[in-house]
Amino acid sequence: MKTHVINILAAAVMFATADFCNLGQAAQTKGKPASIQASENDIKAAFFYNFIKFTEWPEGKVAEPNTITIGLLGENQFGDAFDPVKDKLVKDKRLIIKNLGRFRKSFPQNDAGKLEFANYIKQLRKCHMLFIDDSERENYKAILDAVKGYGVLTVGETEDFLDVNGIITFIPGTDKPVFEVNQKVCEQEGLKISSKVLRLARKVIADKDPDADKNK
Amino acid sequence: MLLPRWGGHNGRGRKRRHTHAWFQGKLIMHTKESSVGKTVVFISFVLLAGVLPCLAERDDTYDSNELFNMAPEELMNVSVVSASRQEQKITQASVPISVITAEDIHYSGLTSIPEILQFTPGVDFYKANRYWDVIGIRGLHDMFSDRIQTLVDGRLVDNALFGGQLFCTYPVMIEDIERIEVVRGPGGAAWGANALNGVINIITKKPEDVLGGFASTTITEFGDSYTYLRYAEKKDDWQWRVSANYEDMESSDEALGNASEKSFYPALNNLIGFDSYKARDSARPFRFDSEAIYDAQDGTKISFGTGYSGGTLGDFEFEGFFPRQNNRFEQVRPFVRIDREHGDDSSSFLEWSGNFETINFKSLLIADTKENSLTGQYNFAPANGHHVSIGTNLRWTHINTGADYDQQVVFEKEPFDEYWTGLFAVDSWEVTDRLTLEAQLRGDSYSATETADWSGRLTSLYALDEGKDHIFRLSVTKAYRSPLLALRELSGHLMPVGGGLYLFNINRPDDLKNEETLSLEAGYTGRLAQGVTLRFDNYYQSYSRLIGYDTMTDGSGLNYLTADNIAGADAWGSELELAFQNKKGKLSVWYAYNDFQADRDRQDVRACLPAKHKAGLTGRLFLADGWTFNANYKYTDTTPDNPLSRIDSGSSHRLDLTISKKIDKGSGELTFGVSDLLNNTIEPHSGAGNITANEIPGRTFFARLQFSF
Repeated sequence: MKTHVINILAAAVMFATADFCNLGQAAQTKGKPASIQASENDIKAAFFYNFIKFTEWPEGKVAEPNTITIGLLGENQFGDAFDPVKDKLVKDKRLIIKNLGRFRKSFPQNDAGKLEFANYIKQLRKCHMLFIDDSERENYKAILDAVKGYGVLTVGETEDFLDVNGIITFIPGTDKPVFEVNQKVCEQEGLKISSKVLRLARKVIADKDPDADKNK
Repeated sequence: MLLPRWGGHNGRGRKRRHTHAWFQGKLIMHTKESSVGKTVVFISFVLLAGVLPCLAERDDTYDSNELFNMAPEELMNVSVVSASRQEQKITQASVPISVITAEDIHYSGLTSIPEILQFTPGVDFYKANRYWDVIGIRGLHDMFSDRIQTLVDGRLVDNALFGGQLFCTYPVMIEDIERIEVVRGPGGAAWGANALNGVINIITKKPEDVLGGFASTTITEFGDSYTYLRYAEKKDDWQWRVSANYEDMESSDEALGNASEKSFYPALNNLIGFDSYKARDSARPFRFDSEAIYDAQDGTKISFGTGYSGGTLGDFEFEGFFPRQNNRFEQVRPFVRIDREHGDDSSSFLEWSGNFETINFKSLLIADTKENSLTGQYNFAPANGHHVSIGTNLRWTHINTGADYDQQVVFEKEPFDEYWTGLFAVDSWEVTDRLTLEAQLRGDSYSATETADWSGRLTSLYALDEGKDHIFRLSVTKAYRSPLLALRELSGHLMPVGGGLYLFNINRPDDLKNEETLSLEAGYTGRLAQGVTLRFDNYYQSYSRLIGYDTMTDGSGLNYLTADNIAGADAWGSELELAFQNKKGKLSVWYAYNDFQADRDRQDVRACLPAKHKAGLTGRLFLADGWTFNANYKYTDTTPDNPLSRIDSGSSHRLDLTISKKIDKGSGELTFGVSDLLNNTIEPHSGAGNITANEIPGRTFFARLQFSF
């Protein structure tokens, strides 16, 4: 009997303690499910959605009116990962997911080609967030140069993405999501990422301390 | 002639609510249902833990797209499953291997590792008593069977005396397990020596994968409890984890009110005082485990930790001796390991591990073992397409034994110091884009037997397609099992018959040789579609020099037993598994055919034979609002009687169900479940050396509450 009473008391104390610990500000592991797994692309899609929610764009950001656009550049295989939030309202604007395919490097050298090129680049610049997958690694410079100065939150998935002035990159080969932020470039683009996201980054490259490593 | 009970089994069966035990046509026992008190306790827990959280639950609810509802910090803890990476790893394995994931373990709701393992293709299982679960891969399983090798993070945990596994004594906790790899068939070269029939490798979670605090408690209708606490932290270059667990398992007598006892040799009942027997199979272990990892950021990682377990286990009758005093055990398992990445596609590690164990098994013996093991391995790519690992393992085992009672077994010469030296090499050669050849070779020298032996595996893996979604595997393997101390040095006498004489007399053998097996395997693993895998493994195994007990009976009926390499055997079979998994759930079905034929009629193999037909099904559904439903089912055919037991088993069905609900925005979870729904009780099962056994609770309702903080 004594053992049974102890068991019940232990369960009650544990429940009460855990509930108390959950009050107040969330810790990094708060809300950690007993066991949730998801595919890499599903997790990335959810992060992109959060990046949109927790980033401020400059007043003059060139974009389609009343929309927020996430552009997906490269051989991405997101499938239906964005379906739950596609066309929904985020910050009172409609969320558009644009599959841009592979980066086009060449256009016909005639007037029509030049016009087509201009429209293509404009399309990239109108994105609020542009995800560039690792299949476009050789085109990083060309893509980032094309959108530089247009307030595009560029997101990659290779370790060297920040070195070429990308803003956020996911580190590959990890069992849990790990990302880094180049806040220096972020500020240059006039973007403001909330500290709610920045504090979760493994590394934030800031203007004052370029090698800041939060080592979470 | 009475025969020794070193092997033997009995089946599982259906029991009605009121249990009747019959002997020679007469009803001799009638058990009542479980006590009202335990039911009240269970209901109270349900009300306290189940109703209150539901009332406290907030308005936020989950739908099937819970990822988008998560805050960024919650997303950080979602594990990335790259299906293609994991499946590829398994499809290209050179051995038939099944992997039990942390998710499988979690949703089973079970707290016993063997009970989870039984739902794996090709695994045989029975419960010797409430805490002693017996596992075999393709048969040859028994309480003291030594034909499979068990590792935790690659470190050997088998008992140094007997070579068998008593999982409830290991300092490994269910919630700390990342996955369990079950290798079917000889695995001697890659995992170490003595893996005759298979390997169970338990991989634990790294601290950085389980940051923060975690608490769990499980309570059953019988008043058993399993309480667990963990904390893990990561700061700068350090990460660490500590876990602790206390388990309180009632005896079958306490759980069932009065568990029936069965004697397999009624003629001996008066001699052994059978009428006074009670089921004393309670267990109260405490476990602690820790791990710390330092990442020097230059390619070097140092990890160290220690596991401790200790407690009491109810004793049992062994060859007619039943002291009615609790067994005690204690284990300490420390380790230190250095891993190094050399930056040129090469890596290495050096590890020391200790295994210090004390057992005081009243029915059997007292033993104190100290094992120190040093392992080093170097991995490199010497030439195009080759991936080579070479390594060595040195092990020193020191064993002291003793006896409190005349009827406990003894070892004539002691203490014992034994040394094991092994060298191994593995080369995986990508001959072409489609064809990979893998060669494993291992040589060992064992001071106790003054012999050297070798094990090896040669495998060809051929991909039918460029994407390596369909792979054929062909293997030839050789492995061996060295006779451990309990076989080589054990002597004793059991069951006094008066006048200083004993019914069973165990003689120390003169010379025992290694058991050996040669195996031919063919298999196919295919990724049929996204999330759909098919695995089909076939084998033929030839055994030689299997160790059993030769018995000689003198004119007065006294038996003299001596361990000997009696004869060989043949085994053959197939395992087929089809699995489907996506983010909504999982469904897998499997069938195993495992046959075994000893060379001699009525040959003692010190173990049970495999059930010829086994089948299983696992279904899991992730429902809306954080609900998850899980079902595990297994069918086990009649287990062929061990030649000496003359007792047939029966076929059995086992069904486990759980329903879980995430609470408090995913930081908690409440689970209700029932294990072994289809059987009210489990019939007494005879293990090695037992003349009697007791009924064990079958169907068990339980509840579990877990919280992260």
